[in-house]
Amino acid sequence: MKKILLGMSVGLAAALGLAAVPAFAESTLETVKKRGHLRCQIGTPSPGFYNLKADGSWAGSDVAICRAVAAAIFNDPNAVEFQSVTATVRFTALANGESDMLSRTTTWTLYRDTQLGLTFTAVNFYDGQGFMVPKDAGIASAHELAGATVCVLAGTTTELNLTDFSRSNNLDIQPVVFEDRNVRDETYLSGGCDAVTNDKSGLAASKAGFPDPGSHTILPETISKEPLGPMTRKGDGQWYDIVRWTVFALINAEELGITQANVDEMAANPPSPEVARMLGVEGELHVGLGLEKSWAHQVIKHVGNYGEIYGQYMGDKSPDGIGIAREGSPNALWTKGGLIYSPPFR
Amino acid sequence: MSDVPTRDADGMIVFRPKPSEPPPPNTTGVIGWLRFNLFNGIFSTLATLIGLAALIYVFLAFYDWAFVKGVWEAQNRQECRLGKEWGTCWAGVEFWFSRFIYGRYPDAEMWRINLAALVLVLWMAPLWIPRVTAKSVIGLSAVLVFPFLAGYMFLGGERNLFMAAVVPVTMVWFVATMAHVVLCVLTGYGLGRWIIHLTGFGNRSDRAAKYPLMAAAAVAWLLVLFAIRDWTLVEVGTNRWGGLFLTTVISGIGIASALPSGIVLALGRRSKMPIIRVLCIGFIELFRSVPLITILFMATTMFPLFLPEGLVFNKLASAIVAVCLFAAAYMAETVRGGLQAIPKGQYEAAEAVGLGYWKVMGLIVLPQALKLMIPNIVGNFIGLFKDTTLVSIIGLYDLLGMVKAVSHDPQWIGLHHEPLFTAALMFFLACFAMSKYSQYLERKLGAGDRR
Repeated sequence: MKKILLGMSVGLAAALGLAAVPAFAESTLETVKKRGHLRCQIGTPSPGFYNLKADGSWAGSDVAICRAVAAAIFNDPNAVEFQSVTATVRFTALANGESDMLSRTTTWTLYRDTQLGLTFTAVNFYDGQGFMVPKDAGIASAHELAGATVCVLAGTTTELNLTDFSRSNNLDIQPVVFEDRNVRDETYLSGGCDAVTNDKSGLAASKAGFPDPGSHTILPETISKEPLGPMTRKGDGQWYDIVRWTVFALINAEELGITQANVDEMAANPPSPEVARMLGVEGELHVGLGLEKSWAHQVIKHVGNYGEIYGQYMGDKSPDGIGIAREGSPNALWTKGGLIYSPPFR
Repeated sequence: MSDVPTRDADGMIVFRPKPSEPPPPNTTGVIGWLRFNLFNGIFSTLATLIGLAALIYVFLAFYDWAFVKGVWEAQNRQECRLGKEWGTCWAGVEFWFSRFIYGRYPDAEMWRINLAALVLVLWMAPLWIPRVTAKSVIGLSAVLVFPFLAGYMFLGGERNLFMAAVVPVTMVWFVATMAHVVLCVLTGYGLGRWIIHLTGFGNRSDRAAKYPLMAAAAVAWLLVLFAIRDWTLVEVGTNRWGGLFLTTVISGIGIASALPSGIVLALGRRSKMPIIRVLCIGFIELFRSVPLITILFMATTMFPLFLPEGLVFNKLASAIVAVCLFAAAYMAETVRGGLQAIPKGQYEAAEAVGLGYWKVMGLIVLPQALKLMIPNIVGNFIGLFKDTTLVSIIGLYDLLGMVKAVSHDPQWIGLHHEPLFTAALMFFLACFAMSKYSQYLERKLGAGDRR
């Protein structure tokens, strides 16, 4: 009986699989334009990157990337349908065409870039795993965590990185595993573990919610590389370029000093040839992308440049920010010693 | 009192009993109840005191947490902490409250949800008004007709040919039901009677009496169809649905479909026709032996893999289908339990008076069986209502999903006790109401047993 059932289900799956016709005869850009809005995949709420606000809207730095692409295509940052999808199905939902692009804390790895039929476009945030300890514990380096208990989330690469770090440094760290971020943080606060580990952005977000954020410190060591960036499907070069160069436009605008406030003036009165080329005043740079001449102008006009987005959602000045210092981090502009770098617009 | 015996007319002494003494004061009233129930011996007294102490302790702790430390006015979580180190931040719940109820539904369109809820209440309320006739039609239409109206009100957008025809039907139906109820209460005669009477068909044959009704329905339908031809509601995609509203939609559809499909499956499982029986058993056993979360994952994750590329199923629709199938399988076994409690004599007696299969079931067996099953059925419903929180795992923002999102908002970061408490309270109120209603139904339908 079981065998028959199994055979039947495999047969059914095969029949349906054979019936699958390639539905991407038209390019992603055409599909998106015809639909009238972008379908941008984000995750379940994660502070600073994509979180719900009390008025029901999505906000965050990855959300801003979605809005930037929508602004480049439609000149309307709200022409986006945000698809909040759990991490387990994120690649499936992009691969089967449910989403046009994915913009959610996803680490660029060799495997993901080559074996899923998907491709990474650019890096918009350099994250890395770190540790947070109470200040009065007097710990200054992760190498002093010998024998310590460390709170960690279950089933993530974070947990694996922790064991790797512990083994390669002979630290004998005792992981205390949690399913829920809030429960993990409360256990840490009540002294249930000596330190807590997560991506540094996540640690900063947690810290911002503590009763006394000043009495905790994030240790300098970064034990993993987590370059995060938007993804598209393989095989549509134009679409890949649109997403990739929208991110670059945000970065380049910051480098050139173009902001949301002065972009109109800059376009009317370009201070340099590069600004003129980027904002579409001179040259035909938009042709390869299949967008309007003023696409980069629209992007900056509606969502601001990279620095403005960072300041709003990651920095500590804005009420929506989670308070991660930018100076001295890899997320500073390359001119200020960071890794945030855009190829030239010419 | 008199020591002199009373005598009757013949001079015989009449026996007159002394009035009985009142019970000792410490066995009656509040004191008696306390003595008997709470202080009945050393252990009982001890248990009472310990229990009372625990109760007071818990209450005081809760009072301290919820009210003494409660902060009601703040713009963000850090403000909640000013002056009080671990202030209970109700301000965050206030800010987010309409998200808990309506999810991400646009503020300007929330009236549609409220109006649909009001329509449902008005549609169901006549079932409790004694003078109203044709209650079974009203009840059935609330389950079968109302969902189309609500579906359009929630979703909005351009109406396709089907919806363009159906929406006016639901509107006419609703207005007719309301008119019927008012007429019943005021005059004792329903809408149908009035239409027949006023059109002068009152003294014609039954067959002819149908014509004015059909004509009135057709005219009303055409009028509404014409009147709303250019009227559309703003489209609100299902990815904006959420909160208690989404929980109610999913569990409401699940609950409404569970009983009929459960009855069909249960009858199928007891059927003498082998194919039907095997199919029903297979369905029930398959869905009962798999956890709901697995079915939800299959519906939203695995199922799309089998579909042609580019063909995308709505996530909410797949979740609702999954919940319905799951609920039907469980309900089927509950119903089968009820059917087996009916003695064989009932079936035989019903068949002996010449009833066919459907009449035996519909008139004799099911009415008795369903009455017996009320506690189980309502238990199933309550379980289903709570099980729908699992959809938050597949990325739908039901009440639980919305409540969890608060702690990820940078302004209220880490705030999760207070929202979870609020959600728990809402779930308790809803489930307790269902439970109380089932007890009322049992009392009402069980009147025969108490005679």
